[in-house]
Amino acid sequence: MILKSVAEQALNEALKTGGDFAELFCEDRRSGAVGLVDGRVESASTVRRHGAGIRVYSGLSSVYVHTNDTSLSGLVAAARKAADAVSGAANVGDIHLTQSIAANLHPIQAMPMDVAGARKAKLLRDMDLAARAVSPEISQVRANLIYWDSDVLIANSEGLYTGDRRVYTRMACMAVAEAGGESQSGSASPGAMMGFELFEGRVDAAAEAVKAAKQAVTMLHAEPCPAGVMPVVIDGGFGGVIFHEACGHSLEAQAVAFGNSEFAGKLGQRIASPIVTAIDDGTMPGEWGSLNIDDEGTPTTRLTLIKDGVLVNYMVDRLNGRRMNMPVTGSGRRQDYTFAPTSRMRNTFIAPGSDDEAEIIATCGDGLYAKSMGGGSVHPVTGEFNFAVAEGYLIKGGKIDRPVRGATLIGRGSDVLRKIDRVGGNMWMAQGMCGASSGSIPTNVGQPMIRVTDMTVGGR
Amino acid sequence: MDRNEFVKRLFDRVSSREGEGSAVSLKGSEICYEEGSSFEVQVKDGEIIGYNVSDSMGLGFRMLTKAGRMGYASTQILDEAAVDQLVDGALENAALVESEDEQFIHKGDGKYPELKLFNPALEALTAARKIEMAKELERLTLAQDARIQQVEDCVIFSSSDLRALQNGSGLDVSMRVNLLGGYVAAVARDGEQVNAGAKMFFTMKPEEIDLEKVAKAAAREALDGLNAEQAPSGQYRVLLRSDVAATLLATFWGVFSADNAQRGLSRLAGREGEAIAAPCVTLMDDPHRAGSAASTPFDGEGVATVKKAVIEGGTLTTLLHNFKTAKKQGVKTTANASRPGYAAPVGVAPTNFYFKPADADLEGMTRALGNGLLITDLQGMHAGANPITGDFSLAAKGFMVRGGERAGAVAQITIAGNFYELLKDVEAVGGDLEFLAPGASCFGSPSLLVKKLSVAGK
Repeated sequence: MILKSVAEQALNEALKTGGDFAELFCEDRRSGAVGLVDGRVESASTVRRHGAGIRVYSGLSSVYVHTNDTSLSGLVAAARKAADAVSGAANVGDIHLTQSIAANLHPIQAMPMDVAGARKAKLLRDMDLAARAVSPEISQVRANLIYWDSDVLIANSEGLYTGDRRVYTRMACMAVAEAGGESQSGSASPGAMMGFELFEGRVDAAAEAVKAAKQAVTMLHAEPCPAGVMPVVIDGGFGGVIFHEACGHSLEAQAVAFGNSEFAGKLGQRIASPIVTAIDDGTMPGEWGSLNIDDEGTPTTRLTLIKDGVLVNYMVDRLNGRRMNMPVTGSGRRQDYTFAPTSRMRNTFIAPGSDDEAEIIATCGDGLYAKSMGGGSVHPVTGEFNFAVAEGYLIKGGKIDRPVRGATLIGRGSDVLRKIDRVGGNMWMAQGMCGASSGSIPTNVGQPMIRVTDMTVGGR
Repeated sequence: MDRNEFVKRLFDRVSSREGEGSAVSLKGSEICYEEGSSFEVQVKDGEIIGYNVSDSMGLGFRMLTKAGRMGYASTQILDEAAVDQLVDGALENAALVESEDEQFIHKGDGKYPELKLFNPALEALTAARKIEMAKELERLTLAQDARIQQVEDCVIFSSSDLRALQNGSGLDVSMRVNLLGGYVAAVARDGEQVNAGAKMFFTMKPEEIDLEKVAKAAAREALDGLNAEQAPSGQYRVLLRSDVAATLLATFWGVFSADNAQRGLSRLAGREGEAIAAPCVTLMDDPHRAGSAASTPFDGEGVATVKKAVIEGGTLTTLLHNFKTAKKQGVKTTANASRPGYAAPVGVAPTNFYFKPADADLEGMTRALGNGLLITDLQGMHAGANPITGDFSLAAKGFMVRGGERAGAVAQITIAGNFYELLKDVEAVGGDLEFLAPGASCFGSPSLLVKKLSVAGK
């Protein structure tokens, strides 16, 4: 994409005013989206994004400049702009780049941009038909396919010159159920770091649409969730969003480095129930949150965050690693070339435990079973989190009773981690887009079924 | 190559292909071009920890084919190869479209409102001055109170953007907008108690910036929320502070979209002329408001924009329309075609969308509440609110109010209700209109006194 000699000149320019580290991130991204509503394909678009970002460090200060102009003169001009914001002793330009090629753990079989439009349209129609077949109460279905192919080049003043190609494919189906002037919705949106082979064996688009439609119908006939404090059983998969919000964000170096995290300074300390082990793994083949190398060119890792309740690792990017005097963990991520990277999650999950799922519910007494979760958010300073239950059921006397809607779970991360008293044996993951200072990125959340002894449940 | 040269070649290519009998159409071809620059500095303990500067550009192409289908393609590289990529891409995408909704390319209006959205004085503000402002904002915030020991985030940013629409039917319009803004998040600590409070500001008039006021508001927010307790669960009469009410409007604006209504995704379909809100509620869409990046003389289809009421005295007067939705319903477009970025397809969205203020300030509204709950913060809108059904169940913070006065701070609660019901349950509207951060749309509200919402706490 960019010649080594061009990158060398840009990096030399970037360090001219005394910066002590410079990095160039170039990206060429093709993406597409096809959407169906009212039973018909309604929109189709293709987008090509192209540009580069140059980052310069001077001690713990960081400057980031990005541009669409990736010609030699464009990059040198951007590098100069970055250098202008740094002041220090002049450096002599002697950067020499050596190419390295990262092993590809995520081979792609069917490049999404090459897949025929007719096949995409058929997948969407299959989703629509499958969802509508679930019940006459299904009144609307929105089905979407999104995919992108991002070719990145990363070079830095330490001599790194490497690249990666990331291909993502995802479907999203939202179904609305309506009766008697009331409506509810359900959704399913699996994806992977894959091409359209995603739909051959791994994801059955029609089956996912059925899940979305069933959820909408179930919620249509659900009563509002009663409010109060109660034990909560959170199912696996997207249920892992609780760990993502309640703890994950607070273990990112960007929060920890400045003491903006309730878990800052707690390495080696017990922060969770001893049955909790949590992992952030960027190396899982084909997974939504995986990468061969992170957006700073560091190979990704499998990182244990919490081992038997004890905090053992933070997720560390290059700049915050400097601030904290800790090694990087391959966690530097960004949405695209318009963002400077920072520490972010990849595939983050609570590891399988040894509890039996039937027992978890049977011994729960009266509580809430959160079968399917919506999203959530957290404020790392205070640890206050919230997340929504997309499909919930009341548990009465250890038995799943009736569906309830509108439940929200709130709490503080440090509290909830200590209150986990059951961890099931069967772990699975689900896909999300995680938004933070370096943009919106694909991350997996996951867990087996867990139980929290008491949580504040919002409802009406 | 240069934008004008590129657009000329693009339209020439369409024209010659049309001559060869292809389904492309010069009259149906339109570009949306955007370029802009942005600046952002983040400080911590008096040092610059983040500094972002960008120049960006992008060109979106859409084409209405002779078969009446619209396809979209966009690029950030303007070279010879991109000309064909856009034409072929739009053509291929149009071929996928099955919807038979009629699509339009606008030839332009004779007159467009003249808006002052660009201030040259803002462009003249140096990076050094903006860095100094960020440091000053942090310093002022820390100086507010001994319990403010930490500033979590302190940022000054500015942006300057150009947008142009041009098509083969005669439309040729452009606009420039610039803005300066800042954000500070203060952290208050008192023993084991910790609470964060933030304040953001936006302006196109640098001489009106009052950093002391911003610092004070952020510190106040952090300090006032210390020693908060959970409120008992139950039904409460509730005062939604202006920013909280605006946040709810920002979450649920989609119910006013004719596009959603026509698809059964809003309960307001066909209810124009009906009372859908309390008589004290008037909801405005004002594309001409100064100092907002959401203001514009023309909408995403090039139609001259107009200020209008969507709810007037509780009655729904209109939904928000673009050409397509207006045609389907047999009405005129309200010039609310949205184009949230050059690459995005045309949709429907409000511009500056706000509940019209009455008179009382927050203190006056608190007295009017008497006994109940004042809500000053909401979290989790992207998950705990369903924009289709209007249901919400959201994490909240605020204050107990007794005898018209603030009593204790409240945290770790949720409030739940339904947006459609809330519109009818508004008892009084304040005069303290405030807008949230402007994006493609900008939402505002005064504080709203609401008959009842469900609270989950202890």
